[in-house]
Formats: sequence, C-alpha cells, structure tokens
Amino acid sequence: MSRAWLVTLATVVLLPVFVRHTIATEIWIFAIFGLGLNLLMGYTGLLSFGQATFFGAAAYAVGYLLKHYAINVVLALAIGVAVGAASAALVGYLCVQRSGLYFIMLTFALNQMFYFTAYQWTTVTGGEDGMPGVPRPEVLGLDIHAPLAYYTVVALLFVLALWIMRRIVESPLGKILQSIRDNELRAEALGYNVPRMKLVAFVLGGAFAGLAGVLYAMLFGIVPLEAIGFVFSGNVVFATLIGGSGSLYGPVIGSFVFIWLSESVSAIWARWPLLLGVAFVVVVLFLRGGVVEAWARYRAWRHASG
Amino acid sequence: MPLVRTERLTKSFGALVAVDAVTFAVDEGSLHSVIGPNGAGKTTLFNLLTGQLAPTSGRIVFDGRDIAGTPPHGIARLGIARSFQRTSIFPTLSILDNVWLAAFARQRSWRGLAWRRADRYSEVAERAMAVLGEVGLEEKAGEPAGAISHGEQRQLELAIGLAAAPRLLLLDEPAAGLSPEETKRMVTLVSKLKGRYTIILIEHKIDVVMSMSDRISVMHFGSLIAEGAPAEIQRSPEVRRAYLGGFAAP
Repeated sequence: MSRAWLVTLATVVLLPVFVRHTIATEIWIFAIFGLGLNLLMGYTGLLSFGQATFFGAAAYAVGYLLKHYAINVVLALAIGVAVGAASAALVGYLCVQRSGLYFIMLTFALNQMFYFTAYQWTTVTGGEDGMPGVPRPEVLGLDIHAPLAYYTVVALLFVLALWIMRRIVESPLGKILQSIRDNELRAEALGYNVPRMKLVAFVLGGAFAGLAGVLYAMLFGIVPLEAIGFVFSGNVVFATLIGGSGSLYGPVIGSFVFIWLSESVSAIWARWPLLLGVAFVVVVLFLRGGVVEAWARYRAWRHASG
Repeated sequence: MPLVRTERLTKSFGALVAVDAVTFAVDEGSLHSVIGPNGAGKTTLFNLLTGQLAPTSGRIVFDGRDIAGTPPHGIARLGIARSFQRTSIFPTLSILDNVWLAAFARQRSWRGLAWRRADRYSEVAERAMAVLGEVGLEEKAGEPAGAISHGEQRQLELAIGLAAAPRLLLLDEPAAGLSPEETKRMVTLVSKLKGRYTIILIEHKIDVVMSMSDRISVMHFGSLIAEGAPAEIQRSPEVRRAYLGGFAAP
C-alpha cells in the first residue's frame, strides 16, 4: 500500500478527533465532488464550470424521493449516482461539440438553466427556500443520525470513491483522457473518438458529483438552492486548482483546505474569501499544480540541499 | 494490387483548389513518395487520406472500400497511421505512454478500458517498447516527451506512427528541421521500414526521395503533373520546369 493511501486513511480516522464532525463530513463530500471534476479538468483538460448541475440535480431528485417515498439509503445513493451521470450525459453531449471558451460558457449556461428551473419549480424544489426535511434513514439497520455515525458512512464512501477514481486514472481510459488534454488532434489521429471519450469523462465526473450531492442533502437535511448554483460550481473548481488539478489527491487536499478555511476562518473573519482569492492568484501565477506541486517542489529542494 | 487509390480527389477552400482531381494508386508494400513545391497540396492530400479534412469531391478507396468522409479516428482504426510535419506528440506524457497510446488504439478489443490497470496490457507494452527500440529511444522511455530534443521528437513522431502497426503509413516530412547528421539517421530509419510497410512519403530532400522511392508522384498547384519511377521523374521535362530546376542530370 502506498504512502499516500496510508496518509489518507490516517486522516480519515483522525479527522473527527480534531474537527467538528459535520465539517469533517463535508470535507469528504466535497472531496468526492472534486474527484469527479478533476477527471474532467485535470485529466481531460475540460474546464467545466457547471459541476453543480449534476450535484444539485442528484440532491433534489433523491431528496424528493427520500422525503416523499422514504426510499432506503442504498437505493438513494444508487439513484443519486445515476441522476448525476444522466444529467452529465445530457449536458456533456451538448458541451463536447465545442471546445475552449465556448465549451466553458456552455457548461456555465446550462448550469444557469438548471438553476433557474430549480428556482422556479417551487412545488418540488422549494425555490429560494430550498428543499428542507430530507431525512437520513437507517443504513442496513444501523441508525446514522449521530454525526460520527454519518461521518463513518461518508468517509467509507469517500475511500471507495478515491479507490475507484484511482482505478480509472490508471486504466487505459485515464491515459487516453490525458492524451486528449495534451493534444486532441493527435489523439483523434491515433484512433480515439475524442468527443465520445470526453463524454465518458463527463458521465463519470457527473456520477461522482451525484454521489456527493446525495450525501450533502442527507448531511444537512436540506437541499439549498445554492447546491445547484454557479458559485458552487466555481467553488469546486477553486478547491481543485488549489489542491492541484491533474493529480489524484489534488482535489482531496483542495477540499480539505477549502472547507476547513471556509468553516474555521469565516468564524473569525467575515471577509475570508479574500484569503481564498489570494491563494487562487498565487496558484494560478506561480504554482499551476497547486499544493501537490508545492509539496513536490519542497521535497526536491530538501533533497537537493541535502 | 493497390492498397489505396484515389479517384479524382478534390478539395477546395473557397476559390482555392488545394487538391485538384488527383487520381493515384499506391501498391501494397511499396514506398510511394509525393513531392512538389511548397503549397502544392501535399499535406492537404494527407489530411484527406487520414480524414482530417473531408473531400469536396472524389473517392478514396482503401482495401476495396470507400473511406472518404470517415472521421480520423475511424480511419486510424482501419490501419492508416500518419506522422505530422509539425511534431505532434503528447508533451506531458512519457515517451513510452506516447507510443503505448498508439499501440493500444489498434487493439482489437478495448476490454477493461476504464478499469483494468494500463500496465497489465503486456502485449501493448511489448509492442511499444519494441518500436522505441527500433527508433532508438528505449533508454528515454520514462522521460516526458516534451523534454527531449527536436531530433528525438521527430524519432518519437515516427515511432507513434509505427506503434499502430499500420497497414498504410503516411510520413509527412519526417526529416523536417533536422540537422544533416540527424537527417542521415532518419533516412536510415525510414529505409529500414521499406518493404515492411506500405508507405506514402512527403519529403523535400530530393536526393532522399530519389534513392528510396519505388514510385514518385509530383504535385504542382494541387494537381498531379507526373508519376513514375525515380529515373522517369528525373527525366521528365515538366517536372524539371515545375520543381527540380537545375537539379537533374544533363
């Protein structure tokens, strides 16, 4: 087992000792969300500014089913993943027809469309008030209302998601997606159907977003309208960039930094997003690989200086 | 028996006819060169053959089927590989991964595409390493492709084409931008491929073309103005006028 895995597992176990359980849980949920985006942004080179579409669609759909049909958690998670993937297939199909700036604008515009649908469709989504009263039913006969119990469920799912993502990026598909990021024309000339591969990346990323969306709804017992808004889409992009896009653990570290900052610093200093802005500028200007690259550079430097 | 032939293949961009009713055939196992001055339409012809461009009219028959209008990835899957005039590689990936991707693309089955670990496809890795050995890059297999010299990138460009185990290999100026020393090495490499692959070669260095080719087609302003064995081309007055200038023997 690699050192990165051990560090991850140790963090998963120790985090609730030091951090409030709700925040600890949110960190892993956001990390799952980031893993999906990273497949698109870091590995395929597709900057999606609409990941909240899939996150929110899954959260609303499953939140509704949990509230009104009392479905069980396993089914809820499965449906969440399916809704995330299906909405990503729909959005992705339209977006992969274009590239560059137009691609980004399309993901953003479609996100806005979903947002305003949720905003208007008050009978289902509750509009601006959100969808409150999402229950957190038992898992396989176990009560998960206690924050630590729910943390355990989410942490296990996060580890599972991380493992699956690792399999994906180490598979031929992972290499193909990276080749598309590097040189689309060449990938196509080798025999890869580039738009279809991009769509596959979208659907997989959407599935991760969907899983995160459902866990989020069950964590807070509500689906707020923001869960499908573009700010949320932007947050996951920021977090992934800060952590290090294009490396497996980047979004995990990013989620850690982002959620921890927003929860701890915001209590002290209301203007904390300023700090985030500074971090973002530093990353974009000097450290394109985010925290992961900073760490690699630090180790190289220490190695060089004996 | 030709492996690939074109019938009045035409591509126009507005008023400009880049490829004008080109009809030619390439025999299986031969090395067929396409020469002509800059802007004669050679690369456009390649882009038509590999699907990067769709022809305005005409047919491309590969192995008995019309492939005009097939997208590039479909053409590649049929076994037509190409190298680019301007080096086109995956700079952040390792040299091995560059050729690995070319070899994997031609696998008959993509089972385990998103799940099986890439290093478990031993036959793909073997093919990739063999090709790197052939062009002399096996010792740099682990280095990122963007970090090697231009000359080595040209070798990699060729290796990517070879890794696909192509039935037809299109080489677009493999020696572009190389030093005399590197050019010599590239010529040796390409002549070793002769006979093992069906090759269409675009090249500006006339001595190279004359010594290696089985047949030569000459393009000028989008049209084919001559075709024949190297000796015939050297003698053709039309070709001399259009292209060779004072080069040919008296």
